[in-house]
Amino acid sequence: MRKILAILLAVMVLSVASAQTKEIRVLLANHPYGDLLKSAIPEFEQASGIKVNVEQYQEGQLSTKLATEFASGSSTVDVFMSRPLQEAKMFYKNGWFQPLSSYDFSDFPKSALGLVTFGSKVYAVPIVTEWQVLYYRADLLKKAGLAVPKTFAELEAAAKKLNSADVAGFASRGKGNPAVTQLSAYIYSYGGNYLEKGKAAFNSKKALDAIRFYGKMLGNYGPTGVTAMSWDNIMPLFQAGKVAMWTDASVFYGQIVDPAKSQVPAENVGMASLPAGPAGSKPYFVVSWSIGVSKKSKDQDSAQKFLAWATSKEMAKRGLAAQIPMARDSAWADKEVLSKVLPSLVETRAQAAKNGMPYDRPYMSAVGEARDRIGEVIIESINTKGASANLDKKAADMVQKVNELLEDTGEYGVQ
Amino acid sequence: MRKKAAFSVLFYILILGVSLVLLFPFFWMLASSFKTQVDIISWPPKILFNPTMANYERVFGEQDFLRYFYNSAVVGVSAVAVGLLLGLPAAYSIARFGQKRLSVFILVARLMPGISFLMPWYIIFSRLHLMDSYVALILSHILIALPLVVWIMSSYFETVPQEMEESAMVDGATRQRAFLSIILPLSGPGIVTATTLSFIFSWNNFMFSQVLSMQKTKTLPIAIYNFVSYAEVDWGAVMAVAVSIMMPAIIITMIFQRYVVKGLTMGAVKG
Repeated sequence: MRKILAILLAVMVLSVASAQTKEIRVLLANHPYGDLLKSAIPEFEQASGIKVNVEQYQEGQLSTKLATEFASGSSTVDVFMSRPLQEAKMFYKNGWFQPLSSYDFSDFPKSALGLVTFGSKVYAVPIVTEWQVLYYRADLLKKAGLAVPKTFAELEAAAKKLNSADVAGFASRGKGNPAVTQLSAYIYSYGGNYLEKGKAAFNSKKALDAIRFYGKMLGNYGPTGVTAMSWDNIMPLFQAGKVAMWTDASVFYGQIVDPAKSQVPAENVGMASLPAGPAGSKPYFVVSWSIGVSKKSKDQDSAQKFLAWATSKEMAKRGLAAQIPMARDSAWADKEVLSKVLPSLVETRAQAAKNGMPYDRPYMSAVGEARDRIGEVIIESINTKGASANLDKKAADMVQKVNELLEDTGEYGVQ
Repeated sequence: MRKKAAFSVLFYILILGVSLVLLFPFFWMLASSFKTQVDIISWPPKILFNPTMANYERVFGEQDFLRYFYNSAVVGVSAVAVGLLLGLPAAYSIARFGQKRLSVFILVARLMPGISFLMPWYIIFSRLHLMDSYVALILSHILIALPLVVWIMSSYFETVPQEMEESAMVDGATRQRAFLSIILPLSGPGIVTATTLSFIFSWNNFMFSQVLSMQKTKTLPIAIYNFVSYAEVDWGAVMAVAVSIMMPAIIITMIFQRYVVKGLTMGAVKG
């Protein structure tokens, strides 16, 4: 009997002791940086004595999970990854982020911070960035006697020359909603924008010229069925050698030069900055992922400690050395790290960080619906090879609809 | 006679055509699960290829997929067991005493979009500290199993002649005894149908598990997304998981197919 009592007592003491060690719950995305953090967390646990319960989900699942848990008001999440362009505005409006008032943001590009700053406060730390680039087949360009296109006019001429029954001269997303992000850089390079002063502006002359150019390129030289294609359809085509040039996010480079994934030898694949339009080369340069602390976290202190570690200069260097395009400037200034990074990644990043725009979509709460509307204009343009007589009217209709969406959420005319 | 032969040839051609259309995606999935990423995306598609086990090694070696199988099985079996325990007597009562309103009520619970239950469940389970526990998942999956059991079995029980239990009761058996010793043994096909279907629905359920499970109790349909990353999809591994997830459902269905068809049609005819 006494033995049993002793054991019971021991168990109780142990459980009290374990309740005293600090614990936090961290939600990460299926993303190379999520993988890196997950494998490094034991180092943090050892150094800080805080136990980290880490969960990792695919981005759609993560988004649903965060929204359900936060909306119920009884979430136990302490630190979480999220996508600034997709979720930050909604999360901020619902008060789910803890503002980061004591964090030092001087090492981050200004454009990267814009997305996660509301009022005078920053609500999440940018982790990784991505920017639009031109992927090309060096062998095909060489065979045709062409240089890598530097302007939209050269891009069109090259696409025309490279286009054949077997290989599409040019590809970019043609499926309405996903195409909006890729079209954005074309609109910027023509001098237009999706929104101006809180109002839809994609029926301006400049924006329409860009939409027509995008439609002409894909309608004439794009792969068959391009209006149903997003990156997940186009990348396999490029990997199978069926596409000569392709504009999309820089994040795909690793996969198209990986011999385990691509039939095209790596030396035949090149990556360059987006060619210049009438207003220059203005790719998007966006923060694709950020990490923040939950307002409801019961252990703010431990959560902040974890955040500081996960977004430290040291982790940024480790990420970049693993070819993850980290947001911190200091990582890109470190010679030793840069020697491990692909040169074209460094070059295109420098150009995009300097000339790029911080958004690749209309930045508003109802971004999904707005993208559907703009997508209709893109598809109309592709289907008519940019020559639609209806395009101006269609764009004007959709501008009206997007303005209504802005009014619904009280964002109309607000900058 | 000739006409009949011609008809049956046409019949088999049609069956073949329909099967080809239905089975092709399955064939594609199976083939892709043995291909490398390069072969999967190669164009023109490769019919002949050098099969690799790498995808399955990734699924069962690098990732602990046996645990997800175990999680799904625990949740499915328990939910179906509770569903039968509560559902069989309920179905019997509905069938014998004509409690039509009750059965419609149960159907409504099933017809309501599952997502509307999730928020209250999340709040309740997190207050009770039951998040990421089997209990929470099993309770939620009972909502999948129970109405199915009640609906299939109530129409099945109606087909069992009332005289049989009456004669048992004349011989001194209580109603409970008659139910256990006479009705249940006669309802084998119906019970097998209800069990099979509700297990498969629970096995495939995505929505409830997505919100109520976390790292420890992740079920298979959630875990398949472990191979879908940001801007990257590991198609070979996804296909290998899909094949593995389908196997138990296919095996169960093949074994019990006879009963399932019988059970479903008996209920249907009686209505």
